[in-house]
Amino acid sequence: MKSKATQSNLKAKEKKPGRSVPELAALVLFLFALIIYFSFASEYFLGVENWINILSAVSVAGILAVPGTMLLIAAQVDLSIGSAAAFTGIIAGLFINSSGVGLGIFYAILMGVVIGLVNGIVITKIQVNSLITTLGTLAILRGLSYIVGGGQTVMVPNLSYLGLARPFLNLPLSVIIFGFICILGILIMRYTTFGRSLYVIGANPSAARLVGIRTPKVILICFVLSGVATALAGVILTSQLTAASPMAANGLELSVITAIVLGGASLNGGRGTISGTILGLLIIGVLNNGLVLLNIDTFWQQVARGTLLIIAVSFDQLRERWGVKRS
Amino acid sequence: MRIPASDLVLLTASAIRKSFGGVEVLHGVDLHLARGEILALLGENGAGKSTLVKILAGDYSADSGTVRIGETEYSDLNPRKSRALGIRMIFQELSDAPLLTVAENISMGTWSSKRGIVSWSKMRERANFALSTLGIDIDPDRLVGTLRIGERQLVEIARAISDNAKILILDEPTAALSSAETDKLFLVLNALRERGVGMIYITHRLDEVGIISDRVQVLRDGTQSLVVETKKASRVELVRAMIGGEIASLPHSDSDDYFGDTILAVSELSLDKFFSDISFTLRAGEILALYGKIGSGAEELGEAIFGLHPERTGIVKLNTQTFKPKSPIDAIGAFIGFLPADRQRLGAFMIRPVAENLAVPSWPRYSVKGFITKKKEEIAYLHWSELLKIRSRNDPDQLIATLSGGNQQKVLLGRWFECNAKVLVLIEPTRGVDVGARRDIYHTLRQRAKDNNIGILLTTSDHEEVTQVADRVVVMSRGKQVAEYKGKEINNSQIIQAAS
Repeated sequence: MKSKATQSNLKAKEKKPGRSVPELAALVLFLFALIIYFSFASEYFLGVENWINILSAVSVAGILAVPGTMLLIAAQVDLSIGSAAAFTGIIAGLFINSSGVGLGIFYAILMGVVIGLVNGIVITKIQVNSLITTLGTLAILRGLSYIVGGGQTVMVPNLSYLGLARPFLNLPLSVIIFGFICILGILIMRYTTFGRSLYVIGANPSAARLVGIRTPKVILICFVLSGVATALAGVILTSQLTAASPMAANGLELSVITAIVLGGASLNGGRGTISGTILGLLIIGVLNNGLVLLNIDTFWQQVARGTLLIIAVSFDQLRERWGVKRS
Repeated sequence: MRIPASDLVLLTASAIRKSFGGVEVLHGVDLHLARGEILALLGENGAGKSTLVKILAGDYSADSGTVRIGETEYSDLNPRKSRALGIRMIFQELSDAPLLTVAENISMGTWSSKRGIVSWSKMRERANFALSTLGIDIDPDRLVGTLRIGERQLVEIARAISDNAKILILDEPTAALSSAETDKLFLVLNALRERGVGMIYITHRLDEVGIISDRVQVLRDGTQSLVVETKKASRVELVRAMIGGEIASLPHSDSDDYFGDTILAVSELSLDKFFSDISFTLRAGEILALYGKIGSGAEELGEAIFGLHPERTGIVKLNTQTFKPKSPIDAIGAFIGFLPADRQRLGAFMIRPVAENLAVPSWPRYSVKGFITKKKEEIAYLHWSELLKIRSRNDPDQLIATLSGGNQQKVLLGRWFECNAKVLVLIEPTRGVDVGARRDIYHTLRQRAKDNNIGILLTTSDHEEVTQVADRVVVMSRGKQVAEYKGKEINNSQIIQAAS
């Protein structure tokens, strides 16, 4: 009805166009509140080296969160990323030890592409729900990580220089890769038809089909991107530990989804931004780091992250409810 | 026996005012309803119909004014109180439980039970009683989800009645019904009238007003512009009361040189179970209606031309080339546009901006090697927003969900004009669109068809739409094409007869 529409028009008018602004503003405020609190509580918090620590700690989750955000915007989810990172890490480790660093990394990325294709084909061709499909590959890849590595941690001494390298602005390689992927993600979502069509698919898949969007192809590409990101994450984790463990990145998918949802992406698709996800990552990173600096038992980190997830989803729900009232 | 409308007043609402966010949408509206009376409530979208009935149902509270029910005057109804007073609303979106049986649905919330143990026999008995008094022939043991939409609506009415509803508010109950189902509904409403139930019947369809109602109340911009006994109301008068002016009749032309070349030629098109052996042509600049009741196959025929039923047989020629689309992507590539009937589910991207909604199918044209900026779609939106009279904030980032139904539909139409479609397939283009926007849409279609040389294929179950806008009509019934009229030959009674 128009009466309602005019009413909500007025409401929206007060707010200013671009409804993502107030959400991100709330996140920025929350992040600053955390920073201010921790900087008073600990003298080390604001140091440059500590910030590099924070960025370094979120970089692996961050590399996965960028394609993760793209998927969630298209109303898809990839739960297999943690296991896939462990598996590609082991593949990288084994091949680096046998055939050298370059070939090892190449095979890991190839494996990432294969994992993405398998997820993507099952989801788009057989049309199994993405949550179920990737829950399956999550278990499969974790199992394969143990099988391929013989249940052992694979030592990869050759990779130590990559893990320690700080080629630019004294930043670790992982942080640089993370930054690069973020910029790439932002550009893709803003300036390509591929990125823009993810929003449309998430907002209404049936309508997307009727305006000529190639939904299966777009979703498949997205899962492949996610697979490549897991390979990068797997190699980075291996280089940081100079070892590939079949237990690596256990439960990482949950931190990644926490960050994405905290950053304003809707679980129902159609909403979200890469910059929001980056803010979500920083909030989690700062919180974890601050709790460590305050000498709080690390178990509390998990409690804090869990609480944050629930708060994030509550935010999402409240926004959805707003949305219903507006329409 | 009919109870005279002046006696036995059930409900009197007086001087109801209501504002949302500082804007008054009801400026002191009155409403009376007598026992056994059907009051048709007419008005464009935004006239305040829904707000008014929601105040009666207790969903909204009025800013001022009173509602008198029986002997008592209320100024603060709430949903619970309204229910207790016997007011029930039957919504367009069904609120039943599809996985439960008819009997369970009818007893929902008021189960016959003893200490928490449900008595199935009593429940069935009660359902049988409610259904039979209304003359509804539905097995109470069937799952509601297996019923047709019209039957489900009747079950909802039976549920309200078995719960002692005295006042029934029906919000566009026939919007999704076939004409047979509509007839069935009217029989039930007449049975309710005999039992003294008062009904408020919200509708867009003028012909239904004459068939079913005793009195008509028209709202315009939050005031009552007309209250009249149905017998004394003329159609013209009702339309004028709704929109505050006349509907300009649109120019028809049956002269053949008015139109361009044949752009779409369909011969012996068939789709299993839906339609068979359909042949027609469409010329540039022409609006061809495919008219038929719901289930006539007209809708599926339109879909088949857009590539939604690749298994269809027969020949479609597009500009003399054989055209066999496998998917909507092929059809869009051949400059065919498609407006689905279900705007919410298949048309709009509700949580996305208007400009994006308008521009999506034009993205390939905008983009350079897959790269795209928002600038072009913002310009496109502002262009079409003015041309199609889209009432909005003129902000390309405004969400389409915040527009009224008619304006959403204009955005979805503009989508295909922007994309330079040469053939436009429209399925029920004005379903759920108010009279004002409908008039705009008809004007736009006529204008665009002529100026841009577009052929428009419009499938509809609304005969008024055919007489309003079509240059030619192919009438369909049970999957067959049964008649064709053009220009001045088109009149309502003729096409209705042909379709039945």
